Amino acid sequence: MGVAEELEEMRDEGLAAIASAEDLASLDAVRVAYLGKKGLLTGVLRGLGQLSPQERPAVGKASNDVRESLEKALAERRAHLEEAHLEARVAAGAVDVTLPGRVRLPGREHLINMITREIVEIFLGLGYEVAEGPEAELDYYNFTALNHPPAHPARAASDTFYVQDLSMETVDSTGESDVLLRTHTSPVQIRVMEQGKPPLYVIAPGRVYRRDIADPSHLPQFHQVEGLVVDEGITFGDLKGTLDYFCKEMFGRDRRTRFRPHFFPFTEPSAEVDVSCGICDGAGCRFCKGTGWLEILGCGMVDPNVFEYVAVDSERYVGFAFGMGVERIAALKYNIPDLRMLVEGDMRFLRQF
Amino acid sequence: MRVSLKWLKQLVDVDLAPEELAERLDMTGTVIEAVETLGASLEGVVVGRILTKERHPEAEKLWVTTVDTGGEEPLNIVCGAQNFEAGDKVPVATIGTELPNGMKIKKAKLRGITSEGMNCSAAELGVGADESGIMVLPEDAPVGAPFAEYHGTADTVLELEVTPNRPDCLSMAGIAREVGAITGRKATIPSATPKEQGQPIAESVRVTIEDPGLCARYTARLIRGVSIGPSPDWMIERILAAGQRPVNNVVDITNYVMFELGQPLHAFDASKLGIDEEGNAHVIVRRAKEGERLTTLDGQDRALSTDVLLICDPTGPIALAGVMGGESTEVCEETVDILLESASFDTACTSRTSRSLGLISEASMRFERGVDPNGCANAADRAAALLAELCDGDVAPGIVDEYPRKAEARGVSLRISRLNDVLGTDISAEEVEGILTSLGLGVAGGPETFDLTVPTFRPDIEREVDLIEEVVRVWGMERVASTLPGGRERIGRLTYEQRWRERIERTLRAAGLNETMTYSFGDPGDMDRLGWDLPAGEVPVKLLNPMSEEQAVMRRTLAPGLLRSVSYNQRRDVDNVHLYEAGTVFWTEAGSKQPHEGARVAGVLAGRWHSPEWHDPKPSQASDERDRTQAELRSPELNFFDGKGLVEALVSDLGVERFKVRVEEYPWLQPGRSAELIVNGQVAGWVGEVHPRVLDAFDAHGPVVMFELAMDVLTAAAVPLRQYSEIPRFPAVELDIALVVEESVSAERVEQAITSAGGKVLEGVRLFDVYMGAGVPEGKKSLAYALTYRASDRTLTDEEVRPQHEKLLRKVASAVGAELRA
Repeated sequence: MGVAEELEEMRDEGLAAIASAEDLASLDAVRVAYLGKKGLLTGVLRGLGQLSPQERPAVGKASNDVRESLEKALAERRAHLEEAHLEARVAAGAVDVTLPGRVRLPGREHLINMITREIVEIFLGLGYEVAEGPEAELDYYNFTALNHPPAHPARAASDTFYVQDLSMETVDSTGESDVLLRTHTSPVQIRVMEQGKPPLYVIAPGRVYRRDIADPSHLPQFHQVEGLVVDEGITFGDLKGTLDYFCKEMFGRDRRTRFRPHFFPFTEPSAEVDVSCGICDGAGCRFCKGTGWLEILGCGMVDPNVFEYVAVDSERYVGFAFGMGVERIAALKYNIPDLRMLVEGDMRFLRQF
Repeated sequence: MRVSLKWLKQLVDVDLAPEELAERLDMTGTVIEAVETLGASLEGVVVGRILTKERHPEAEKLWVTTVDTGGEEPLNIVCGAQNFEAGDKVPVATIGTELPNGMKIKKAKLRGITSEGMNCSAAELGVGADESGIMVLPEDAPVGAPFAEYHGTADTVLELEVTPNRPDCLSMAGIAREVGAITGRKATIPSATPKEQGQPIAESVRVTIEDPGLCARYTARLIRGVSIGPSPDWMIERILAAGQRPVNNVVDITNYVMFELGQPLHAFDASKLGIDEEGNAHVIVRRAKEGERLTTLDGQDRALSTDVLLICDPTGPIALAGVMGGESTEVCEETVDILLESASFDTACTSRTSRSLGLISEASMRFERGVDPNGCANAADRAAALLAELCDGDVAPGIVDEYPRKAEARGVSLRISRLNDVLGTDISAEEVEGILTSLGLGVAGGPETFDLTVPTFRPDIEREVDLIEEVVRVWGMERVASTLPGGRERIGRLTYEQRWRERIERTLRAAGLNETMTYSFGDPGDMDRLGWDLPAGEVPVKLLNPMSEEQAVMRRTLAPGLLRSVSYNQRRDVDNVHLYEAGTVFWTEAGSKQPHEGARVAGVLAGRWHSPEWHDPKPSQASDERDRTQAELRSPELNFFDGKGLVEALVSDLGVERFKVRVEEYPWLQPGRSAELIVNGQVAGWVGEVHPRVLDAFDAHGPVVMFELAMDVLTAAAVPLRQYSEIPRFPAVELDIALVVEESVSAERVEQAITSAGGKVLEGVRLFDVYMGAGVPEGKKSLAYALTYRASDRTLTDEEVRPQHEKLLRKVASAVGAELRA
């Protein structure tokens, strides 16, 4: 058999061996057997020297052809086997994707703060700043400067928490002490007007205190958000428009508001604001006690007497103020049956919102 | 204030349905608390005609009647009354009726005879005082007709919430005026001129006001020869509708006129009044003297303080002015002559007296809000006329009228331009004039500026803005167009501190803590439970009138509230607790008026982050006793390092430059598992595992990890702007070392030794294992660190790092007395 035939045979056998290699290791064994240092084809090339110069070119070319075709087949087979190997590995790694994920849940915001933040954000968008004030407040800020007459019933020790005054100064209020736990966020109005000059656009969220026994609808501490605007050219219509916008943002675009005249010592005219009931859309149902409306806010135009306490010119400036109870909104919007749940710290409650 | 529509309609023409009227009042500033239909309770009571009347065979005093009530068959009714005959028309309560007194009519046997209903008395039906017999109706009463309809008892009562600025609305007359204004009708205010006879009052009665500051006016009328008895039915009906119990004609008249005109009246038995030297009854209005006492109408003997205003006679106190009469001068069945008081007392004084004595009455409520002194005489006349008419009294000529502080109508002006500027409206001068006139104000001037005369029954109208309010509430707030303020100089934003406080809370939530809220009140015993001593000079913030002993002070720390929340959860088998609270704490010191307030943020952890899950790493086994603590610390049970880790996450997020913990003991934390937190050299708070004894005191079980931080220290240390630092461009060489050191050597010390020996190329040190146990000698521990070497300008080679690393090892080993572990 001539060298040419030998090479031909070697190529056929090699290609067959490559094709039948089932994994990368046996494929590599085939490569070594043919193309390795001691491989068959290498042997043929080594034997070239013994051939006559006439034969050499032809055999050399033929053996290179064989090498190329084997190398090509090897590369193809390798790619094929590698692909198959990857697929097999992936297939073996399949998991039950319905097993629960590895999760560490982020904590939740308390419902009251969540609602407060929602309210604050609406007013930030309207160009308001956020003001704060002390919770243990002076009678002057909580009552006097808010135009409460000395004998106002809210000053009664049955309604307001009084704090021991250690100053030994004579009490100049009519309450039990000059120091009390603020009964509303309205004293922040006075502090803001004392510290700044109009135009003022502020919102003041905070904790307030009243002597109510804790029950499903009362807590001795709760939260309010106060609003105050003082500027030139402010009107009662601006107050209506502002609160109307707020209620739609807070409760839904389709909700309506109505303003009922009311009385507060520190605003004049004053009003209570109702928002249409979200359950019956104003038709009257059990949720709104048949009225079609839910009382949400108190508001009014800043009383000139209040401006006098803080030396704001009430001819030049007009103001409006409003206040709302966050717990009430929580109860109405989230259907909280018992306000005491808000202070118990029950994880099962706190994780709901 | 209860307003009977039947009564109201006598004073003003109302053609609105009750619901519409309620709505109009609601939208003009008078809140309607309830709408009650009277007469509804008489459902089932019909007009009947007695057909037959026979003696009960078994009972001498009972009658057996058959009564036609318009049904197919007459009803058999057993009846105990004696005042009727066959043929009379009577009200019959049929089976199933519930009478106003609560009695339910059932079919019953009376001494063997079945009774199918009840013939009723006026008292039983709540339409009169007569209970002596059944109510015999006029001959023309239609048989079978509902009694309420026939008798006209059907009425609607509006229950109004009257705001404190509107004392005038505490009367039917005032409500009638208000209704007239909002419906465009004119109200009639009742008045009377009593027929007078006999000796003039001035000849036998004298009034002295010693303290005119507390009594602006005192009028008195004398009515002689009254006969005390029940009031007529129409008056009883009114009194009942107003929510009062009828007593007798004299008392009922004083109440009736109070409801009608808003003027509280008091009737004294004139014969019981002490007389002066000249034989005159002498009424003295003065403050109580030290040690004085008075037995009030309710039989209570009361000690009086000197700020109480009294009505006295020469012998002593006879009434608490404006609050309650005295027992000694009370009108009784034998009373013949009446001295009628109609006065105006100080609001604050009445309020103090009624509240301090716990006596809040219809009268005190009105005086507390203000009674118009200019109405006193009219009310006295009105009541005197009724006493003459209904009690056969003789009204003595004249009125005693002491009026030391005359109330004058006030003048206030209103600029139409100002009104429309403040409201954002375009209300015309004519409309304004119409509204203010209908409210009873005298209107002059205009059209730019009106000069108004405000009657004294409207003390709330003092300034222009009060008039603006009157106009807008009657004109209609709903008609004011909604706009938004156009102010140019406003920017909505949070302050620097507010933004950081929000971020701190957000980070804690992201780290897995749930926000909670606890009471700002504290239990005075809490500090003892914690073993927390207040710093010298500091005292707790005490409430003068706490709701309970457990809430008698303001909290000094958030810890007790959070521990109670842990306990609350654990007692409900919720063992994994992760909470934080951001809130205010309070403290003060002697001499301080307003307490100090500080913002704190505190967190608490108990149990695990989550209950065991399929993917949890398998717990490592302790190799021996010494390794147990390390194994515990690596377990999923939350411990000190979870708390510390949260604080580390927080300060890292804030970009705090210098943060460290210092070993420190706190009485409420477990020694050896507690530390002080230092931020930029300032004490920011503490972290630790709560001491088991403290947990016991709060009914919780451990381990419970807590931390508390001062918000202001954190926000002050936060770094808002962090400069870019280059991302490494060249690869690092990482080498691990294990050091065996004495157990007492702190990780912090070892790390410091490594860092200081590391030189420029040591980029990072990470402690990846702490081990005590087999292979490590007693009293020692092994700390394994991964050291990262990197140069910023070239690739470090192993050959370059090795000598440095060897040098570091030698330095560290000698610095901390470490042995290298293979």
